[in-house]
Amino acid sequence: MQLGDARSGKLAENIIGFGRTLRRAGLPMDSSRIGLGVQAAVLVGLEAKADLRAALLATLVCRQQDQAVFDQLFDAYFRNPELTQQLLAQMLPKTTEAAPKPKRLARAQEALAAVRAAINQPPREEEKIEFDAALSASDRARLRHADFESLSASEFRLVERLAREIPLPWPQLKARRLQSASHGVRLDWRRTLRESASYDAEILSLPYLARRLEPLPVLLLIDVSGSMERYARLMLAFLHQSTRRVARSVFAFGNHLTDLNSVFRLTDTDAMLEGANRLISDFAGGTQIGVSLAALRRTQSRQLVGRRTVVLLISDGLDTGSQEQLEAELAWLKRNSRSLLWLNPMLRFEEYQPKASGAAVLHKKVDGMLAIHNLARLEDLAHSLRQLVKR
Amino acid sequence: MTGTLSVDSIDALIEALAAVGYQAERRLATAVFLSLRLQRPLLLEGEPGVGKTELAKALSKVLGRPLIRLQCYDGMEQREALYEWNHAAQLMHMRAQPEGVNPDQLEREIYQEKYLIRRPLLQALETAAPGAVLLIDEVDRADAPFEAFLLEYLGEFQVSIPEFGTIHATCAPVTILTSNRTRDLNDAVKRRCLYQWLDYPERERELAIVQAQVPQAGQALAEQVATFVARLRSAPFVNAFSRSPGIAESVEWARALVALNTLKLDPEVVQDTVGILFKQREDIAALEPMLEALLQPAADTDSST
Repeated sequence: MQLGDARSGKLAENIIGFGRTLRRAGLPMDSSRIGLGVQAAVLVGLEAKADLRAALLATLVCRQQDQAVFDQLFDAYFRNPELTQQLLAQMLPKTTEAAPKPKRLARAQEALAAVRAAINQPPREEEKIEFDAALSASDRARLRHADFESLSASEFRLVERLAREIPLPWPQLKARRLQSASHGVRLDWRRTLRESASYDAEILSLPYLARRLEPLPVLLLIDVSGSMERYARLMLAFLHQSTRRVARSVFAFGNHLTDLNSVFRLTDTDAMLEGANRLISDFAGGTQIGVSLAALRRTQSRQLVGRRTVVLLISDGLDTGSQEQLEAELAWLKRNSRSLLWLNPMLRFEEYQPKASGAAVLHKKVDGMLAIHNLARLEDLAHSLRQLVKR
Repeated sequence: MTGTLSVDSIDALIEALAAVGYQAERRLATAVFLSLRLQRPLLLEGEPGVGKTELAKALSKVLGRPLIRLQCYDGMEQREALYEWNHAAQLMHMRAQPEGVNPDQLEREIYQEKYLIRRPLLQALETAAPGAVLLIDEVDRADAPFEAFLLEYLGEFQVSIPEFGTIHATCAPVTILTSNRTRDLNDAVKRRCLYQWLDYPERERELAIVQAQVPQAGQALAEQVATFVARLRSAPFVNAFSRSPGIAESVEWARALVALNTLKLDPEVVQDTVGILFKQREDIAALEPMLEALLQPAADTDSST
């Protein structure tokens, strides 16, 4: 395809096509943005390809992480649009796979499976069948205290569902932003005047402004090594739901660091878990906490501002990396956060002592260690969190 | 200084910026050029010290427009950024009224323009031609709800005041937003802006900047500074530090070296002045064992690159 004259409409057509290609590659793109891109291209002209590239970059891209994708697609598209299709397919293997049939959400799938099971069973045996959905009170009590590791596959699925419903009232802090209140740090002059204007300039009440309470931001670091597989999955599901209203960033680590923020933005927990599965390439591999934390420090250090963040490190502490590095990185993390808490599933063993090399370092550095191996513990989490963070 | 006339092309803009001491990359200049022409705000993101704020200052000089600066901070409110009513004066006005004034009439009198205190955004809108350069600095430091106050301004260059009416721009202000990316900005803000990610400059541009800002530094010293800092920012050295020094730091460092009458970098003088490049004890400690490698003669790398 040749770039044509702007008046003949070829340019606009090409840029619209390019914008749509970028959208398919996952860049946020709306028609007003594409329109802006066309205007920009007309302004800088087509004499210099570098200028056109810069113009489209400034108008069509709004995140640093998209820059590389833009560059590749720009090169491909303005040389050969057909080639772009192949490139796009390479970059996004899932788009070609996912396209043919929309997969059912796990929740829908399970719901249907239960119905189908009911239909397929001979009616005589009906009284013996236990449906997952209808959970008796004694089952609930038993599962509350059962270690996640000891559950059967179907029980685990059930517990995972239950975990999603556990509320986690998050510790709050007075923010700098103000809101109206009956008493507070300063007078709400604007309201005072507005009200008094309608009473002949008589001030009858004094509305105040008070500092608003806001939940502390949270940084979740989840160990996805082999020994943690079940806990990691369950904690992902639990925290995805319970920290919905909290400013959060989420990373998984094993041998390296994986950014889970994009999938955590999904509202559906099943979709989140599926996405996380896809993103995490070292699921059930080894653990090198130090290396992963170093990567976090290099790329995300600006996310930890003002020592307000509560860091939840979810790991069993079975670390295979270097101890010195782990210690240095933990010290950095602790310096830059409000609280560094270790959620440790190993606390399921009565006489557990953090003696393994990684665990000993962790124990020395963290502000507190909390158990998370069964539902009852998860329910207590909010309480312990508040106490530890307040200190 | 009829600024706007002189920047009718990207090249002219690069030249004009260079004339006031700002060495702009062509990619950045294109974005600025478009933001001027399309009258869109420009959002600059990048590490601290890569020249985001400086660009706004340089632009104000080039265009001959006053610079209005809004430094954002956590908990910033509408009344600090847009406008506020002068409550004390309003109260006096109300008290001075004779008995039995019609309340509607009184309200109209209180919410007059003379009781309106203009904060940066409103000031920028009301600046007479050629208009202002508005710098909304470190917008990521303000909290997410604050971004909502900006939307109307960024989209339409206007501010609505419920008691008073809508104030439109007399002349669209050139608007620059900067962010250090301590958090991601809302998409609604990004949609209304052109976007540019500023990186650390390559060695040649850094050299030009150092020479322009610190003319007293000799050619040899300026080159050494640029090479040293460029190496600090690249692998394998960069991994050892929690934060790489920005352009502002390398310029400051060159100044310090000139003040110390340094002609050539050696491990000792670097150690003495390291506090300008790094502000963390760990980083300073990490630098020491690497000094030898970092100070390898430039000829070595020059011939290879």
